[in-house]
Amino acid sequence: MHAPPVQRLITELSRLPGVGSRTAQRLAFHILRADAAEATALADAIRDVKEKIGTCEVCFNLAEGPRCTICLDERRDPAVICVVEDPGDVIPIERTHEYRGTYHVLGGALSPIDGVDPEDLRIEELYGRVASGVVREVVLATNPTTTGEATALHLARGLHERATGLTVTRLASGLPVGSDLEYADEVTLGRAMLGRREL
Amino acid sequence: MAGPLTTEAVVLRSMRFGEADRILHVYTPMRGRVSAIAKGVRRSKSRFGGRLEPFFHLRLGLHEGRSDLMTVTSADTLSAYPRLREHGDALDAAARACDAVGRLFETSDPHPEVFNLLCAMLGQLDADPDAAAAPERRLSFRLKLLLVAGIVPQLSSCATCGESDVVSGFSAAAGGVVCAACEAGSFGLDAGTHEFLVAALASPLVDAPQIGPREATLADRIVVAMAEHHAHVRLRSFAGGAR
Ligand SMILES: [Zn+2]
Ligand SMILES: [Zn+2]
Repeated sequence: MHAPPVQRLITELSRLPGVGSRTAQRLAFHILRADAAEATALADAIRDVKEKIGTCEVCFNLAEGPRCTICLDERRDPAVICVVEDPGDVIPIERTHEYRGTYHVLGGALSPIDGVDPEDLRIEELYGRVASGVVREVVLATNPTTTGEATALHLARGLHERATGLTVTRLASGLPVGSDLEYADEVTLGRAMLGRREL
Repeated sequence: MAGPLTTEAVVLRSMRFGEADRILHVYTPMRGRVSAIAKGVRRSKSRFGGRLEPFFHLRLGLHEGRSDLMTVTSADTLSAYPRLREHGDALDAAARACDAVGRLFETSDPHPEVFNLLCAMLGQLDADPDAAAAPERRLSFRLKLLLVAGIVPQLSSCATCGESDVVSGFSAAAGGVVCAACEAGSFGLDAGTHEFLVAALASPLVDAPQIGPREATLADRIVVAMAEHHAHVRLRSFAGGAR
């Protein structure tokens, strides 16, 4: 019912996460109505990001060049590695200004039922970094979801087997600031109680 | 049948959706597998908290609209199973148990016995993660699912000719054990694995008989083949269990 180029645009847009066919159609018509410069800028930005941005050869974070800005920054402590699932998880940790070590981006979380096994993630590369002997602590910052927890448990076991004397830590579970105790689930509240600290 | 609905449910699967929502597959005693959307659940101030993560046993309030997708309106925890969440093998066993239930029983047909079996498995994984995540318990769970699904292998006599009780192989196409005369297209079945299958079906989940790694691999292959051949469901082999 649409001209083939319009249909192609709708199809491509609907591949984006969270975009259904109706949203894709709305976006496509927005692009059709936009002036040529605006539409070309979008196309150029997509092409540019794919051409210029790759993954860091050390930590697999996004990088413009062989290494990311964090791995290139000499003020960062190479003895501490924070392990996250996706590049998008680096940004919220950076925003805390509480962390001065480096990162390791796994590229997802273990989920055998979905066909995501250890060899599908950058786990061997993490073990390789730890084997260099420089690393003192690995902070497991995978998501506090079922798959994120399974990944953290798998890594903790693998790291302890390979490097005695290495400290492996997990981000604490707790109550979100501004939330209500009444609404906290039992697992979160139980862990918050276990991880309580003296004031 | 639009309107509100309150039901017990176990969360089988939870998928990110849009900015802050999740789509859940839950298993219920009387409505089988239900798909529901939980709006805003990924925001830190959501009143659902972490309750809609996989394996939570809940009392769930749902609103049934015109689409197949219900909306979660409330969630109260009946069991959170916190200990299994700290144990890698138990998490793996729980994920595979939920996956098998979701695939073999994906319709709205009521199977309260499947719901009870799933709760029993999760409860055992929480109470004694090492024992409950062992291959015999996982296999026993899957065999009991096949039984409810009506595709349990025939184990007492040859599934093809029905006569000989001297079995030497297993054929998913025939639907069970086969004798030497009928064993074309089958794979070898040893006495130990055969005895395990019979005993596991006859005993409660918690009393699943012990099994060696070689027999476990073969029993798993049998379960996977039955599900694939008779229910067109691909269960992921667990390759011996641990790790
Ligand atoms: Zn890097
Ligand atoms: Zn026969």
